[in-house]
Amino acid sequence: MSPTAQTQLFDSLRLELRRGCLVVAVLAQLRQEHYGYTLRKSLVEAGLEIEESTLYPLLRRLETQGLLTSQWREEDKRNKRFYRLSPVGEVVLGQLLDEWRGINRAVERILGAETSHERTTDGEES
Amino acid sequence: MELLERYLQAVGEHLPASSRQDTIAELRANLLAQIEGREEELGRPLTEDEAAKILEAHGMPILVAARYRPQHSLISPAMFPVYWYTLKKSFPLVLLAYAAVVGAQIVLQHEPLSEIPGAVGHFWTVAIIYWAVVTLGFAVFEYLQQTQGTKFALPHWSVRNLPKLERTQKAPSLGHDIADVIVSIGGVLWLLAVPNHPYLILGPGAKFTHQMPFSLAPEWHVLYWQIMALFVAMTALKGLMLSPGLRPHRDWLQLCVQALGIGIPVIALQMKPFFVPTANSTETVQSLVAINTGIALGLKIAVAIALAKLVWDLWQLVRSRAGKQPGFAAMW
Repeated sequence: MSPTAQTQLFDSLRLELRRGCLVVAVLAQLRQEHYGYTLRKSLVEAGLEIEESTLYPLLRRLETQGLLTSQWREEDKRNKRFYRLSPVGEVVLGQLLDEWRGINRAVERILGAETSHERTTDGEES
Repeated sequence: MELLERYLQAVGEHLPASSRQDTIAELRANLLAQIEGREEELGRPLTEDEAAKILEAHGMPILVAARYRPQHSLISPAMFPVYWYTLKKSFPLVLLAYAAVVGAQIVLQHEPLSEIPGAVGHFWTVAIIYWAVVTLGFAVFEYLQQTQGTKFALPHWSVRNLPKLERTQKAPSLGHDIADVIVSIGGVLWLLAVPNHPYLILGPGAKFTHQMPFSLAPEWHVLYWQIMALFVAMTALKGLMLSPGLRPHRDWLQLCVQALGIGIPVIALQMKPFFVPTANSTETVQSLVAINTGIALGLKIAVAIALAKLVWDLWQLVRSRAGKQPGFAAMW
């Protein structure tokens, strides 16, 4: 596989991996009220890079799905749309976090098993 | 901030009218906050270039707007396997129907065989129309699903109803192919001997050929060698099949032999008439006209069938080489 093809494959897999995680992160962050710009800032500060052009439409979609509620309010002499997790969103977030933790534990176990297997093999070889 | 307004206007052009105002207002607030945040970091107002960079980084207007719209697809991922299966399964039928129509035109309307390449070339138009019709049908179904709430449900299936295991077809043995080459060489030698020894084809009747009121057309002498060349080429290809290096390509060589075989009736059809009268009797001439027409019709039918068989075998070979895909055969 050429380096370009490998990079493209990685980008595509990374995008797939990130897609679901971003939804979980956005829902989790919106347990506190935010408008688009401050939400992105808080996510970046937490270490999660996300493009504005991805985040703002995502907020709209999550609201349409009933996971968020929004409200136009004036702040610093400017009207802004503030988002917050809806009651349905809270339930779904809880379920998603359970799922995510379960997957995380399983992957960690698999990686842990591999590491201990490698150590055993290295020990036998030396 | 004229640049920002121009950018928002460009995004707005691609947004649905129902949500345009709301989306643009929200986007304006967010982008203004971003610009102000950057100004706070720098401690001064942004230059036009710096503001332009922020907007350009946000994305091309048409793509930004597209992200606010629900995702549309002509055929959804859920429907695509059924669509692809339909295309794959019905394509050979389209091909067969087209071959049958072309064959019928050649035979019934007495069209010359030189029309065949044109008909083959025209098939791509038919194939594209067929693809467009199937795609349009699925797209309409997909649209109805999304707008009318029509739900597509897969038919009920059971593992017990799946087709029986297919037995892998045994490839012809080397012995079979050696025998084929020997028989072909024998056939070539026999055909070479026939002109000088007509009894090899006519038996004891050969003694009476000079008394018949008709004989073979003079063109036979030229076309005979062309047909012989085809027989020799076919035998040579069959001989190549025995080579261990070419054994894996046996099926392709066999197809070449089949294609050359079609050349024999095609060459024979170049001859008009097949038989000519040796006596000036009206009755004989009339009978020969009927015989020549009958032979020509028979050869045209043979060519049409052989061509259809060749296309079908080629299709089967390409499919078997590509590997079989699990389909929906068990469900339908």
